[in-house]
Amino acid sequence: MPSRNAAQWNTPPNSLRIDEFVDSRIYSDPAIFEEELEKIWKKSWLPVCHESELPEPYDFRTLTIAREPILVVRGPDNKIRAFLNVCPHRGMLIERRPSGSFLENQASGNPKHMTCMFHGWQFDMKGNCAMITREKEGYQDRLSRKDLGLRELRCETTFGNFVWVTLDDNNTQSVNDWAGDALACIQKNLDAEPLEVFHYHKAIIGTNYKLWHDTNSEFYHDYMHYFNRITGFTPEYFARKNVAHKNGHVVVGTFEVQYEKYQLGKSRAELSFPGLPPNQWFMVDLFPGANFNLRGSALRVDVMTPLSADTVMIEFRGLGLKRDTAEERMRRIEHHNSIWGPFGRNLHEDLLGVAGQGSAMLPGSEPRRIIQARHENETIHDEVGMRHFYQEWGRRMNRLPSDPTRKYMEAAE
Amino acid sequence: MPASRDTIESVKDAIYKSCLLLDDFKFKDWLELCDSDFTYAIVAYSPEIRRDMTYFSGDRKQLATMLDLLPKHNTDHSPLKRHATVYDVAVDDSGKTAEAITSVLIYQNMLDGINSHIDAGENRLFVVGRYLDTFRLNGGAPKFVRRHVRLETRRLDKGSHWPL
Ligand code: FES
Ligand SMILES: [Fe+2]
Repeated sequence: MPSRNAAQWNTPPNSLRIDEFVDSRIYSDPAIFEEELEKIWKKSWLPVCHESELPEPYDFRTLTIAREPILVVRGPDNKIRAFLNVCPHRGMLIERRPSGSFLENQASGNPKHMTCMFHGWQFDMKGNCAMITREKEGYQDRLSRKDLGLRELRCETTFGNFVWVTLDDNNTQSVNDWAGDALACIQKNLDAEPLEVFHYHKAIIGTNYKLWHDTNSEFYHDYMHYFNRITGFTPEYFARKNVAHKNGHVVVGTFEVQYEKYQLGKSRAELSFPGLPPNQWFMVDLFPGANFNLRGSALRVDVMTPLSADTVMIEFRGLGLKRDTAEERMRRIEHHNSIWGPFGRNLHEDLLGVAGQGSAMLPGSEPRRIIQARHENETIHDEVGMRHFYQEWGRRMNRLPSDPTRKYMEAAE
Repeated sequence: MPASRDTIESVKDAIYKSCLLLDDFKFKDWLELCDSDFTYAIVAYSPEIRRDMTYFSGDRKQLATMLDLLPKHNTDHSPLKRHATVYDVAVDDSGKTAEAITSVLIYQNMLDGINSHIDAGENRLFVVGRYLDTFRLNGGAPKFVRRHVRLETRRLDKGSHWPL
């Protein structure tokens, strides 16, 4: 095969369909990134944490969606609510810790309240403004507490009791409308018994968030993983389905992983999640950037927080069953870590892959084609997942993924 | 009976020797410092989920197998180098075992993890934590029976395939 000069390199092969490649500017252009925050990230339901991270009334977690700081709190009524973590007074973060309990006394406030440390305004667990310091003296009758509550966000606790939040009040869908079609394949496994998070770590990688999502949804990169080459390459493996679901989500599953073929592997059959046949797995990639990966004995959930066109934070969680004995839990943790832990076999390689792509697609770099043209009857190495994702992306952005300067709607006509 | 200076020094020597061998990728020699029932774990506390976590664990045999398989895996080859200070060595009353606390910083000397033209040669702080070691003293020839690497670091951008 001859190498190509600039003109040849920049001309797509005639045989490639318009949906079989994307233009790298969708990964590198800061203006497109800003538009994605508005049109996609601020409009979607996102799983932000698990309810076991705030198990008791008054427990909270702090998070971020599309640069907006968010506070998730369990009320005395046990209901989990989400608020902007922004004080209505002068815009300070109300809570700065990653997690904790509002039952504890705070330096400038009272127990059972969220207190903004700056000027001591206090809020209850429903977001009502409960206290304004020297209220009458300063605001007389012009401003009242009832007009100064927190901004509440739509929040649902569902699908294995994950906490889902959307910034969009006008989003008419429920989480079930949004993701139910894709998560149906594992819903009974997630909901059979209470789950508990046992693993958390984060990575901040110099790459576009979609490149990480693509890596979760394309399995052709099995070639990067020694573990997959040795355990997975069987006829049953190549027959696994790769199925597009509504709203841009994709599901890949299920086959029997032959763990014992890897020298350090062990069958995980006996600790399979409730209702999940031994050694099976499902990978559910949720638009625009979350992933539920149920593999035998452990559930991994990745949640992305895009920080800029070329930087993404990925949070990695591992979950088991709340009722696990100490010994069962430890075995689940070992299973989880061997492949997916920060010192495990595959995660390290996956992150190297996307860091390498990120290095070659920096903002301002030359536009190039990224090919997603594999067709294999919608089985595991078929790139239908990425094509499906970019169809949804194109619709939401009204930009053509293979040429983002063109309108998606016009190109579709 | 208070432990002798020599006993304490022999424990410190073993810890520093382990650092040197790990720095130099002499993993087989490192395992030679460990008894046959040696166990290793990387652990951390997460204030996010308010739980103690295990990020990696293995016994001597599993570690040996893993280290043998490393060349078959793709890896960020940026070498890791330690700076360690033994803060405390406590010998038990029988004089047979000891526990040590070592503060450790591990630096990554960038090589091929991102874009080597730009990053190679640069040093980045990789992790911060402590080695919590347990020894069998064997009358002056201590062997590791347990190492817990307790990390403070929970942002692990690309983690590592190598023991810390
Ligand atoms: S900014 Fe919060 S009380 Fe003033
Ligand atoms: Fe992978």
